[in-house]
Amino acid sequence: MDVFQGLAQGFQVALSLDGILFVLIGVSVGTVIGMIPGLGPITAIAVMIPITYGMDPAIALLLMAGVYYGAAYGGAASSILLNAPGVSEAVATTFDGYPMAKQGKAGKALAVAAIGSFVGGTISVVFLTFFAPLLSKVAVSFGPPEYFALMLLGLTAIASLSEGSTIKALISGVIGLMIATIGIDAQTGTLRFTFGSPHLMEGIDFLVIALGLFALAEVTSLILGRKNKMDDMHNVGSLRLTKEEYKEMGPTMGRQSVLGFLVGVLPGAGGTISSFLGYISEKKLSKKPEEFGKGSIKGVAAPETANNAANNGAFVPLLSLGIPGSGTTAVMLGALIVLGIQPGPLLMTDHPDVFWGVIASMYIGNVFLLILNLPLIPYLSRILLVPRPLLISLVIVFCVIGVYAISFSTFDLYLLLAFGIIGYLMRLLNFPAAPLLLAFILGGMMEQAFRQSLTISNGSLSIFVTSPIAGTMLLLAILSFIVPLIKNRKAAGKENIDKSA
Amino acid sequence: MFGTTNRKISICLIAVGIFYLILSFRLPAYAYVPIDSDMIPIGLGFLLLILAVFLFFTNDQKTNDNDERIPKKELPIVLGVVGFIVCYIFFLEILGFILVTVLFLFFCSMFLGYKKHVVNGIVSLAVPILIYLLFDSFLQVQLPTGILPF
Repeated sequence: MDVFQGLAQGFQVALSLDGILFVLIGVSVGTVIGMIPGLGPITAIAVMIPITYGMDPAIALLLMAGVYYGAAYGGAASSILLNAPGVSEAVATTFDGYPMAKQGKAGKALAVAAIGSFVGGTISVVFLTFFAPLLSKVAVSFGPPEYFALMLLGLTAIASLSEGSTIKALISGVIGLMIATIGIDAQTGTLRFTFGSPHLMEGIDFLVIALGLFALAEVTSLILGRKNKMDDMHNVGSLRLTKEEYKEMGPTMGRQSVLGFLVGVLPGAGGTISSFLGYISEKKLSKKPEEFGKGSIKGVAAPETANNAANNGAFVPLLSLGIPGSGTTAVMLGALIVLGIQPGPLLMTDHPDVFWGVIASMYIGNVFLLILNLPLIPYLSRILLVPRPLLISLVIVFCVIGVYAISFSTFDLYLLLAFGIIGYLMRLLNFPAAPLLLAFILGGMMEQAFRQSLTISNGSLSIFVTSPIAGTMLLLAILSFIVPLIKNRKAAGKENIDKSA
Repeated sequence: MFGTTNRKISICLIAVGIFYLILSFRLPAYAYVPIDSDMIPIGLGFLLLILAVFLFFTNDQKTNDNDERIPKKELPIVLGVVGFIVCYIFFLEILGFILVTVLFLFFCSMFLGYKKHVVNGIVSLAVPILIYLLFDSFLQVQLPTGILPF
């Protein structure tokens, strides 16, 4: 069956009355779940699995695809409106999304996020349709050294491009890596830095750090600013984007759709790395990099487009090899198996309706997301009209529930409070929090990849240089440091000359 | 000598680095593992020390666009909210999610200066109950019931 015949069959399933109805339900439920901190696409899909028992597999997958897109968008909405990224993929969206909301452009930011998600999702589905078999071959050739190099590149890139001092960003990253070493070592089973506490054996949860450093730390600013009228903030602003704004974000979305998709295809990389890489690469390319972090449209468009494109890219190894490339696709794999379908090379021949149904549902899910969410934006943004004191209490409650619902331990809640205080101190002392969080997310995987590589090479570091892919990425990682340093030196030198003149 | 902020932070970070390194060196070693579990922590500990030394010799940034310092007048408010959070966490499993959340939302909002007590009361009651129902029946997540019978 060729691609077009397959797609036609897929659309037949997706465009049936049942199909449309369930995508619609999925998108709405997903958006609501995604807005709650701590509940991202993974939880949303996991919650849906019991509901799909006994459903036609193709229809069940349509529902899940809808939930998946909805939850990703819901996460972006809480990042933009509350500075509370519920999942790691949404962290980069806060960098410019929240400043935009503060300036009274919440509506615009949400519209940009919706359009970015749509463009990223749609372009990457086209890639998925045509390049799935080809790309999965490249991803398979990645071993531990290549993964390590890729993750290191992601980290150095974010550290070198953070606002302010590069050394502070690096320290922040190293501390993130240190926090990631807490818990049982995956290779030897050694307990590290647990201080005898059983609560620390499994390490610290991502949410504790993300909600502490970002949302709870923001509470202090909210408290200090509670008496300010915040007129701008109350103003959701128009959703309409001007022609210039479309022109501005067009190339960004095009580039990030491709880049995000490619990153997503690599197993383990996924939405988080792609959203950070997307943000950073656009900042690098921009003629006005100083606008980033202060409410730049491109700063919202880039991570949202890249992260949606990467999420679709992650379906390449899942559908063609049966290997999930991200947490979300891992849950999807579970859902497929529950429905009696084993993804893998035989999926296309054994269950063409499912294979193409999933792909067609992605086209449809994207369209519905846009149609549903654009009119909903004014209602979503009403969160901003909630009086400050009430909003502060509610944000705290949501943070607490988000953490408690995962760990069921009050110990983690005290940790959450501690990270909130650390987050505030970091702001006070101009330490960027994003490198810490990204380093923490990647820390565990990086350490495993590094040690596996050294085990393969009998302890020789040359393995990172002899592999051409790993070598190139390491070189890029080093360059990403040196180039900004030289630029800074040059700028400082110029200033001195100006002063002496 | 410790005049600048960067130097003070640097000294704290060096202390953290040394503490982390001592713990790393005390991790048990295994005979037949080619790359043991203490390798990465030791490397990270030294990396932090090196970066902290660099920071020691870096000049403070002069421009601070968004000053996050808490004014003296506001300090009791911020500490009060921290106290509210500690009480909330402490009583969560003892009194149960609904009861503690209702009390927290109402009194914390009032403490922060929200004066519409009727609206405050309605929100403080409705939100916890809705969240509890959502988690309990839809997400199948059991939140602590505490002293309430449901």
